[in-house]
Amino acid sequence: MSNTIVFDNVSKFYGDVLGVNRVNLSIPPGITSLVGPNGSGKTTLMNLMTGLIRPSRGQIRILDMTPDQPEQLFRTVGYCSQFDSFPKGLTGYQFIYSYLLLFGYDPPLANELAWQAIDRVGLREAAHRKCGSYSKGMRQRIRLAQSLAHNPRVLILDEPLNGLDPLVRAETIALFRSFAKQGCHVLLSSHVLHEVDIISDQVILLSGGYVVAEGNIQGVRSEIEDHPMQILIRCDRPSVLASRLFGEDNVVEVRIHDDRRGLLVKTSNPNRFYLLMNRIALDGISIESVAPIDDDVNSVYGYLIGTEEAVR
Amino acid sequence: MRPLWWTQILAVIRLEMKKTFFARRGLWIYLLALAPVALFLAHSLVEIHLRGVRHEMATQSRPITEQDLAAIHEGMTREEVIARLGDPPASRITMRRMPTGPHGFELIPGEVLRYSDGSTELTVVLEKGAVVGTGTTSGSSLGQDTHIFAGVFQFFFIRLAIFFGCLGIFMNLFRGEMLDKSLHFYLLTPVRREILLAGKYLAGLLAATVIFTVSTALQLTAMLLQFDTATISHYLYQEHGISQIVAYLGVTVLACIGYGSIFLAAGLLFRNPIFPAVLVLIWEAANPLLPSLLKKFSVIYYLKSLCPVEIPVDPGMPPLLALLVSNAEPVSAYIAVFGLIALSVAVLAASMTRVRQLEINYTAD
Repeated sequence: MSNTIVFDNVSKFYGDVLGVNRVNLSIPPGITSLVGPNGSGKTTLMNLMTGLIRPSRGQIRILDMTPDQPEQLFRTVGYCSQFDSFPKGLTGYQFIYSYLLLFGYDPPLANELAWQAIDRVGLREAAHRKCGSYSKGMRQRIRLAQSLAHNPRVLILDEPLNGLDPLVRAETIALFRSFAKQGCHVLLSSHVLHEVDIISDQVILLSGGYVVAEGNIQGVRSEIEDHPMQILIRCDRPSVLASRLFGEDNVVEVRIHDDRRGLLVKTSNPNRFYLLMNRIALDGISIESVAPIDDDVNSVYGYLIGTEEAVR
Repeated sequence: MRPLWWTQILAVIRLEMKKTFFARRGLWIYLLALAPVALFLAHSLVEIHLRGVRHEMATQSRPITEQDLAAIHEGMTREEVIARLGDPPASRITMRRMPTGPHGFELIPGEVLRYSDGSTELTVVLEKGAVVGTGTTSGSSLGQDTHIFAGVFQFFFIRLAIFFGCLGIFMNLFRGEMLDKSLHFYLLTPVRREILLAGKYLAGLLAATVIFTVSTALQLTAMLLQFDTATISHYLYQEHGISQIVAYLGVTVLACIGYGSIFLAAGLLFRNPIFPAVLVLIWEAANPLLPSLLKKFSVIYYLKSLCPVEIPVDPGMPPLLALLVSNAEPVSAYIAVFGLIALSVAVLAASMTRVRQLEINYTAD
């Protein structure tokens, strides 16, 4: 049995409007983030995966199952969508318990799983209050609990950190990591790019319905050749180091940092540059740190799509 | 051990129960169902009151029969009437406006003398001290009331109350959840969409059946309330009353089955309930005018054949109304039940095809 989520040349059109186009992906277990501005196709991809919408073209397979087999798929998949709505009149507990009964669980097991899920998101005290009376963060958490109550192997989360306070946000990220550690897929969408950096094992960058890059973020960055990589070097003699670097053909630009305690270097070949730094360190210049400053999602997205969209 | 599909259907029904029975926006369905109950209850209470008044009048003076009343002629004076019939136990002073020209009128003083034999009220109408007419008023009979019931049942209860009640209950099963943006929770569970549809239909059917069969039972109870035990026993055991009651309850259930399936399908096809409601209402009303084959694609066609009491066609009735009342092509009870269930199953099968293709796009909905 395959352990990947596969999109095979998938397109979705809403009438004349493009949702996503010619998407080919193979997503391994771990935390994968879908990144892109509003309208880039993140939610469309998630809805396609869960059969809420159907592809105009192409095929999707989730661990060898198709989205039009709900009776098998949703024993493995949990989806926390971004629709902030609930069936009317249900408490948090009733919401999770009632939908667990649809899985065919007997009432005692459904009850046990419901409480486990409620405890995971820390909502035990509010469990008997109606969902309609919850704050935005609580609503987000109870929907998250509902999506993971049946212990799915694939967890799909659309903007799962929206509305959460910093403490709960950290706890939720830890929860995602624990899922990923167990070999599960955690697929989430976000437009908060620094968060994606912290959470993700891999990213899928989307723009205008197209996948513009995918994979490990550093790997994606290294493949962008028309933007030299920016590296910050902290050292005791920046001007000496700068004169040493000017002669190197892979160094495109060297600037002394504003605090005069380091250099900002742009290089067209990071691998050769790192080897060079090793040699320089051996020559007696004290180097505190060498770190790329534009291999985060924000910079990569900016290079690939354009700065204006990346800001979002 | 229960099969999984049945467990899932029960779970769907459990989730839907609160929405179908206790939704605030469904309150009007209860009002619609209880309206004929109120009508029959009011009728019975008025009849009981009038019967009491007639009985009391008969005890207050000599009981007057219709033969006594026949002896009263126009032009007799009040004194002559009282000499023949005795003092009336009740009377009423009247004042009639009689036109005397284009702008003028004359006030005519009068009096109505009321007598009773215990069950019938006999009245003598006097104007300017002389008899101008006589009349009798009897309480309604069970025979008359069963015909009134048949008319209310066919023309209000089935065609309007159950029709619109099912519209409210069944169209909301899918459309209501799309408006509330909560349908996706169902579609993200390991439930086949056909099972989901079946569960929702059964939940709607349970609600509609309970509401409307209880209403039918209450209407029949309210209708019988004014009659004494002997009359009711005679109706139930000698005049096929029990089979009529069973038939009315059965027709109510079948109406919920038929209209329920149609409005469940409409909820999957239409965003606005008004459009399908008008369309189906016209189709059902036009049933007597349709060719024989098309008649069979109508719920009312089967229900009319199953109604136990025929509504008498009055010779003075307008032709269009007479056409609606009469059942030109009645079918046997077996064919009617089978035909209606077959029609409902066909509509549900078409709905299943639709629900399999259903996509969640709340912004478009």
